[in-house]
Amino acid sequence: MRGDKRFVGAESREARLAWAFVLPALGTILLIALFPLAWTVWESLHVHDLRMPWRGQPFVWLANYAEVLTDGRFWGAMLHTAIFTVGSVTLELVLGLVLALALNRAYRGRGLVRAAVLVPWAIPTVVAALLWRFMFDAQAGIANAVLMDIGIMDRPFVWFIHSAGAWVPIILADVWKMTPFVALLLLAGLQNIDTSLYEAARIDGAGPWRQFLHVTLPLLKPAILVALIFRTLDAFRVFDLVFVLTGGGPGTSTEPIALYTFNALLQNLRFGYGSALGVVVFVVTFALAMLYIRALGVELTQAPE
Amino acid sequence: MALKPRQQRLHHRARRSSLRTRQARSGVRSLLRALRSRDEEVDLQTSVQAWAAAAALAGVLGIHACAGKDEDWRAVVTFPASAVGAEAQVLRDQLERFMLEHPDVRIVRRETPDAADQRHQLYVQWLNARASDPDILQLDVIWTPEFAAAGWILPLDGFGPPVEEYFPATIAANRWDGKLYALPWFVDVGMLYWRTDVFRDAPATLEELSRAAARARDSAGIRYGMVWQGARYEGLVTVFLEYLGAFGGRIMDDDGRIVVDSEAAVRALRFMVDEIYETQNVPRSTLTWQEEQTRFAFQNGQAAFMRNWPYAYPLMQDSAESRVASRFAVAPMPGADGGEPTAALGGSQLAINTNSENPEAAYAVIEYLTRPEQMLERARVVGQYPTRPALYGRPELARALSVAPDQARRIIERAVPRPVTPIYTQLSELLQIRLHRALTDQQPPRAALEAAAEEMRALLDKVGLAPKEPNGAGR
Repeated sequence: MRGDKRFVGAESREARLAWAFVLPALGTILLIALFPLAWTVWESLHVHDLRMPWRGQPFVWLANYAEVLTDGRFWGAMLHTAIFTVGSVTLELVLGLVLALALNRAYRGRGLVRAAVLVPWAIPTVVAALLWRFMFDAQAGIANAVLMDIGIMDRPFVWFIHSAGAWVPIILADVWKMTPFVALLLLAGLQNIDTSLYEAARIDGAGPWRQFLHVTLPLLKPAILVALIFRTLDAFRVFDLVFVLTGGGPGTSTEPIALYTFNALLQNLRFGYGSALGVVVFVVTFALAMLYIRALGVELTQAPE
Repeated sequence: MALKPRQQRLHHRARRSSLRTRQARSGVRSLLRALRSRDEEVDLQTSVQAWAAAAALAGVLGIHACAGKDEDWRAVVTFPASAVGAEAQVLRDQLERFMLEHPDVRIVRRETPDAADQRHQLYVQWLNARASDPDILQLDVIWTPEFAAAGWILPLDGFGPPVEEYFPATIAANRWDGKLYALPWFVDVGMLYWRTDVFRDAPATLEELSRAAARARDSAGIRYGMVWQGARYEGLVTVFLEYLGAFGGRIMDDDGRIVVDSEAAVRALRFMVDEIYETQNVPRSTLTWQEEQTRFAFQNGQAAFMRNWPYAYPLMQDSAESRVASRFAVAPMPGADGGEPTAALGGSQLAINTNSENPEAAYAVIEYLTRPEQMLERARVVGQYPTRPALYGRPELARALSVAPDQARRIIERAVPRPVTPIYTQLSELLQIRLHRALTDQQPPRAALEAAAEEMRALLDKVGLAPKEPNGAGR
């Protein structure tokens, strides 16, 4: 009995201590993550238009959300975000995998090559975007010059005023910049694969292609999923690249959801409506993350077996 | 977003400095009171008070000394202004002279970004927070109704501004609800730049301009016939406004109804589209260009015509940079069937913050800066056009401006303000998107304008600014 009591006491003391240690972290999360989020949700239930103070700040329930869901520009922006996300992430995964496999080979100067590959990733996005804007300039850009030299085009193409063409520099710039990051994640995954598995496969008579399909890919799955999560969530929030390259144009043909939210919130200063857009973006990103985490959780628990 | 810390800093500084001033004042008061009471009877408590007050005062003065010449006893007027170039210098000189004339007023300049969007955003944040600082606001012509309707700036009628001495259009653009809210400081108008070494005369109609541009491309080997600002931004609306006026259309009528889907408007937009895709006088690249890109094309000799603002003139006369120095001239943008030559009105206005602690001193500054001599100086140093028509007969102005004053005056008199409404910027955004869709060949002109008009009417309706008449009759 006495022993039990002491044990319980120790446990609760330990628990209290644990709480005391965790509390600052919890408080910080509360302050910097949950509080702004709750405030944004609260804001989104009001009409709050900084430029029209005469409208006041009436509580309007879900009117802003109703406006979001019936707003053609919002759905357009969601579509553009999806196009960008699928387009850029697919290319980055494929190219990143190829790059990772190449980097995984042992050869002289491998360290140097690995470092060099990371250069695009290290360049600030706005600078990279400006570079790509110059490269795709209709008159002075290298893209048109090359395409005309090799005879694909006979006159300059104005990329940024074509509603489909404008996506080319945007997606290429993102692929150029983010592929090294994906490659790095996948390279880490590749190096975790036990080389004896390849030996075994070789002994069983598997060629390089079958080794890749049946050894490399399945064991690389967790790394691929991690890369997918990072890139999808990043791509979904794309802003700076498009802001610099096209400003969302022509018309609003390349306007992603983050740019539209920025526009509503900080250009037009519609805090209520902008917050509603922000909450929608948050919910979608959160859902995507949960989906991935569930998938990834399964992978991670299965991996050691 | 990056401006926020700066804004907070300004706020803190303003609050701190006014607090310090108040401390200093109360310190002086209690010191005097203590000294006075000392004459009558020696009171230990008051003398302690006096010493405390003296110490506090010394402390405050010490802080003042540390803070430099940040505070003194004069009325302080804050003025946000451009931080760079000749424009900043001429303003600094003018404000120095004002302070010599008014020893009781001290002006503090606040450096603000030059980009209109950023400046607007900063102003809205300040004014929403009911900051009394800055006292004077330099407004773009399209902001006055917005700020007036929000109650952020003071009506100026009480100060007796000489409105009859200004161009009527510049005054009209600054009125809201029958009251004047800002004084026009300098005026900007859209103009047609043309090459005097390629053409003998400026074109009289848009048709003529189009033909001349095509000829210049064919025979003179000039790459582009005509360039204008076609990127999706406010500049596009000003260009459209000029074509629109040329064909006799308007964006909004006198009763505040949206009429941008009229036949004339469709003709105007179709003309612009055809200039790109049919005659190919206007390069497609122009749809990504703002003012500077068009200026580069024109000054490199690549364009026969350009639509731009007056700022480009002195820059392109510099033969070190420009290949067309002294080989170009300006004219009004020509008219077409059903309308008349039209120039978009731009420019800067001066207004007073509603929460200003020194509105009289602020008005004195505005009055000084808008005097004829000061306007002439601005014209001479930075080439900005005065807002007073009387100055256009003065020989100094002829020397100051590169454009003949009577010609400039004719263009300004043709200038039309953009719709005077507090939600102009939002309406303009809706229009910009649709115009850009039509110009980039994503939507036919009529459909684009009808969609724009519908969206603009819905917005006016939603914020309670729709014209009073039922069913939007008369469109």
